[in-house]
Amino acid sequence: MINGTERVCVQGITGKYGSFHTKKMLKYGTNIVCGVSKNTKIKEIEHVPVLHNMYDAVEKFSCDTSIVFVPAKFAKDAIFEAIDAGIKKIITITEHIPQMDMLEIYKYAKSKNVTFVGPNCPGIILPGVSKIGIMPENAFKPGDVAIISKSGTLMYEIANFISKKSTGIKIGIGLGGDPIIGTSVYEALLYVSKLNPRKIIIISEIGGNEEILDVERFLNKGYNSNIQFFFAGRTAPKGKRMGHAGAIVEGLEGTIEFKEKKLENLNIPVAKYIENLLG
Amino acid sequence: MKIHEFVGKRILKEGGISVPESYLISNDREIEVKFLPAVLKSQVLVGGRMKAGGILFAQNKDEFLKFSKKLLHKKIMGETPYGVLVEKMVNIEKEYYLSLYIDRYEKEIKILFSHFGGIDIEDNKDKIERHSLSDIQKLPKKIQPIVQKLHKIMKEKDLTLLEINPLVKTKEGNIMALDAVLHLDDNAIFRQQWAKKFVHEEYPFHFVKLDGDIGVIGCGAGIVMATMDAISLYGGKPANFLDLGGGADTKTTIKALELLKSLSLKNIVLNIFGGITKCDEIAKAIVSFKEKNDDIKLFVRITGTNENEAKKILKEHNIHFFDDMYEMIKSAVKGDFI
Repeated sequence: MINGTERVCVQGITGKYGSFHTKKMLKYGTNIVCGVSKNTKIKEIEHVPVLHNMYDAVEKFSCDTSIVFVPAKFAKDAIFEAIDAGIKKIITITEHIPQMDMLEIYKYAKSKNVTFVGPNCPGIILPGVSKIGIMPENAFKPGDVAIISKSGTLMYEIANFISKKSTGIKIGIGLGGDPIIGTSVYEALLYVSKLNPRKIIIISEIGGNEEILDVERFLNKGYNSNIQFFFAGRTAPKGKRMGHAGAIVEGLEGTIEFKEKKLENLNIPVAKYIENLLG
Repeated sequence: MKIHEFVGKRILKEGGISVPESYLISNDREIEVKFLPAVLKSQVLVGGRMKAGGILFAQNKDEFLKFSKKLLHKKIMGETPYGVLVEKMVNIEKEYYLSLYIDRYEKEIKILFSHFGGIDIEDNKDKIERHSLSDIQKLPKKIQPIVQKLHKIMKEKDLTLLEINPLVKTKEGNIMALDAVLHLDDNAIFRQQWAKKFVHEEYPFHFVKLDGDIGVIGCGAGIVMATMDAISLYGGKPANFLDLGGGADTKTTIKALELLKSLSLKNIVLNIFGGITKCDEIAKAIVSFKEKNDDIKLFVRITGTNENEAKKILKEHNIHFFDDMYEMIKSAVKGDFI
């Protein structure tokens, strides 16, 4: 997914979060070669040149990867521009992108063979090498555990724990917690299994059951990895968090009880406490 | 965001779907009989209204006056009605169930259809057919144009769910929507002007009241839920769900603390793992709140972005903090800093 050689462009580099995290990523060693912003007054951020469109970023700086901080209202146009310009990997940090926009983005990215991670995600980190994301790097000590997470903050929490009490992290992929995300748990599993991690931790929440279907599909393909799950939302009030889908549509399939039972049948352990993720 | 039926019906009508003739009564002064017999429907955003007594049928004027007054003031499953929708009675020949929703797994709009609609749909879940929009020809001929119209409405109005139960065939042969459940994508409100008046954003964060006694604040839905889960696993009861969201500042955090204070809680847990959120912003809020509310115990765990700055601020003000979330939660459940 990332290997540290990416030539990264920061879309929305002049914004509050874009500029702050550009600095942090540069410090971490990420190869950020330029940024793009519609703000024509700012010429550079942290010595990184600021351009006005993605075509220039690809043409003049040979960018192949983009990290998106563009506000939700304008995110679809920005992402389409990146795809049209020829960017091959897009990691979208922006939250609150409408689902109808995401359906279009997803379809377009797939049709152009673009790897799309997010939205509403913390990005991807290869501890000690590179991070295209916003995660606090202190929580990610280099090691041999892979984390695939649908929750940003929980990824930090668990990475921090593994880094302190165990061997550390080989890769951390934040897929994002939105209903429509670009990269699925299945795709992330295919990718991280190539890195031969000692174990894979999947972090998810109440609602939906795509991650269960994804793990099932992964195992059915003949993969045999050491996978462990952690869920958040056991105590979430019914109907509040799941309000986005009708009861008829989701039924019981989004509850943690249902998901745990499914995983039990697949012989995949579910940790109730983060401490149980050791071993 | 769920949309009231009377608004949903207007949207359906504008989109070319037949709905019964209707009008809304918002208060006692507006009660007026325009036709009989009439169906009176409480405008609440909960499912199962019929079974909860939120839908009444008035045959004559006396019943109409009695029922409309009753429904205007009756809470349905704890919810106060927005008003009462009055609809002309329809001669039903057959009831169907039809809904369109965004499928998370296949990442496209899907259709659910059943020949067995109405209030018994819960018992007939196995008879619901699921189709892709490209398989629309598998639906009855009369339903296909309805689905096409609904699909257009869904895209134009940024809906994540559009459910009609029942969709009916009248004795006169028309297909008509007798109910309308619409879920609007909260993230799309910026381009859906019509919905703005129904949005009441009280707080700049996500808050849900629960019945426990330990206040919870965190940044990120995942970590907040994991915190609530851990409180329960250690024998406590969370008083709320409160997600500050990404990048919360001092002002927002103070607002959140003030809100929890209004619930008269003695212990509040703050579980902060700053990514996009800067810990020092949160620390400043804690200091400011603590100065005025020394009687409330704050169990703070703070780490991540700008952690050192935050810890310095807290130390200068003698505010205790934890490095580990579970240690903090265990202490909060006991009500003591160990």
